[in-house]
Amino acid sequence: MAFRGFGGFATSGLIATAILWSFATTDVEFSRLLSAGPRIADFLGRMFPPDPTVMAEIKKGSAETLRIAILGTLGAVILSVPLGILASETMVSPAVFRPIRTLLAFIRAIPLILVAMLMVGAVGLGPLPGIIAVAFHATGMLAKFYAEAIDGVSRAPIAALESAGAGPLVRLRYAIWPQMAPVVARDTIFRFELNLRESLILGIVGAGGIGFYIQTYVRSFQYDKAASVTIAVVVMVIAIEAINVALRRRFA
Amino acid sequence: MSTAIEIDDLSFAHTGADLPALERVSFRISAGESVALLGPSGAGKTTLLALLDGRLQGWSGRVSVLGAPLDPDRPPPSARRPDTGFVFQEFALVERSTVLRNVLNGRLGRMSPLRALMGSPTKHDLEIARTALADCGISDLAERRVDSLSGGQRQRVAIARCLAQEPRLILADEPVSNLDPARACEILALLTGAARARGATALFSSHQPDLARRFAQRIIGMRDGRIVFDVPTSELNDNATAELYREVEPSPGIGLRAVS
Repeated sequence: MAFRGFGGFATSGLIATAILWSFATTDVEFSRLLSAGPRIADFLGRMFPPDPTVMAEIKKGSAETLRIAILGTLGAVILSVPLGILASETMVSPAVFRPIRTLLAFIRAIPLILVAMLMVGAVGLGPLPGIIAVAFHATGMLAKFYAEAIDGVSRAPIAALESAGAGPLVRLRYAIWPQMAPVVARDTIFRFELNLRESLILGIVGAGGIGFYIQTYVRSFQYDKAASVTIAVVVMVIAIEAINVALRRRFA
Repeated sequence: MSTAIEIDDLSFAHTGADLPALERVSFRISAGESVALLGPSGAGKTTLLALLDGRLQGWSGRVSVLGAPLDPDRPPPSARRPDTGFVFQEFALVERSTVLRNVLNGRLGRMSPLRALMGSPTKHDLEIARTALADCGISDLAERRVDSLSGGQRQRVAIARCLAQEPRLILADEPVSNLDPARACEILALLTGAARARGATALFSSHQPDLARRFAQRIIGMRDGRIVFDVPTSELNDNATAELYREVEPSPGIGLRAVS
C-alpha cells in the first residue's frame, strides 16, 4: 500500500540512500564488533559483585532524583494549567490556541538533557537546574494533554451552564473540570513517571540526582559501585511503575 | 396579558448550509401559555429553541424574549440568561457529579461569579435547589452520581436544574424523545405542571402529535423551517398533522441514481 507507484519507488530509493550514506560515512568497523565479546565479558566481570558500600550515596542520589521529579512535575502542572486552557479550542479562539500549540510543540522538540545543560549554565550545578529543566520540558507534553482533556469533554453540559448564565471560568469549574479530572490525574501520574525516568540521567550534566554517581563511578573505573547504583535505579523505576499502574487503575 | 416571546420575520441559515434552517418565522406567545412546537426531524425546532435561548447568532428579523430584544450578533447579557431555562433532549448533565451538584449548577447564573467559583451556595440557593428536587420527586437521589441514574431520572434532574434557575420561560427541546411512552407522559406532565405552578411560560418541541395535544394549549406546526399552522390544541385536526408529516414526493432520477 504505502510503496505503490512512483511515490513509493522514490520513497524506497530515499530510504536506501540514507542507509548507504550512514554506513559509508561512519567508519563502521565490524572487526571491532568481533573483538568486543571478551571486552564486554571483562566489563561485566568487573561489575560483579556489585559493591554494597555505596548505600549512602544511593540513598542520597535517589532521594534527590525523586525530589527533582516531584518538584519538576509540580512546576510543570503549575505551568500547564494556564497553558492547557490557552491551548484548548473549547476555551479560547484559534488566534490564541494556535500560537500556544506551536509554542508547546517547540518546547517538546527540545531534549531534556539540552535544557538541563543550559540551566546548569544559567543557575549553576545541583538539583535546581534539574527541577527547572524537568518542569520546562514536561510542560510541552502536559499542557497539550490538559488541552486535549478539556476538548475531549461532552459539550452538552457546557451549553447547559452557558444557558443558565454561568461565565467561562464557572463553566470550566462545574461543567468541564468534573469531566476531565480523572484524565488529568492519569496524565499527570504518567508524566511524573516519565519525569522520574528522564531525570535519572540529569546528574551526568551536573543537574543533580543519582546520575551523578553513575557518571562518577564509570569515569573512575569503579564498575562494581556503578553496578550497585544501576541496580538501585532499575529497582526505583520498577517500583514507581508498579505504584503508577495501581494509581491509574483507581482513576479509570 | 404580557408577551413572553415575540418573533417577527425571523430567518436563519447554519454556516455552510444550502437551505435556511428557519425561514420568515413569526409568532407571539403570551406569558403563562404552554405551547408545543410540532414537526418532523429537520423542521427547525431545535434551531429555533437554541436561538430563543440566546445560543445562536447571525440571524435576521426581530426577536424579543421576556420583553427584551435579542441581539442577532451577540449572546444576551449573562444577567438575563437565568430567566430563560432550557431542558435538553440529551439531558446535558455532568455525569460524574451528584444530582444536587447538577441542580445547584442551575443556580450559578444567579450567584456572583466569585461565589459561583468558590462553590459556596447560600442557604437560599440550597433551599431553592432542594425545593426543585422535591418538586421533581427526586429528593432521595440528591447524593447519587448522575451516571448511576436511568433516563427518566436524568430528565427529572435536568428539569430540577432548570427550575432552580427560577425561569420565567422554560424552553424544552424534545425533552422526552429518549424516553419510553409512560416516562414521556410523566416528564411532560411534570414540566408543564411545574411551569404552570410557577406562572412560567413553557415552549417544548416534540415530533409526537398525541403528546403535544395532551400537554399544550396551543400547537405550532413547523416543517422545512417554516410555520405551517399555529392553532389552539382544540382546533388541531388530523389533516393538518398529516400534512406536517407528509412524505417528500420522490423526484424522478433519485431512484435511478440509487440503483447505479
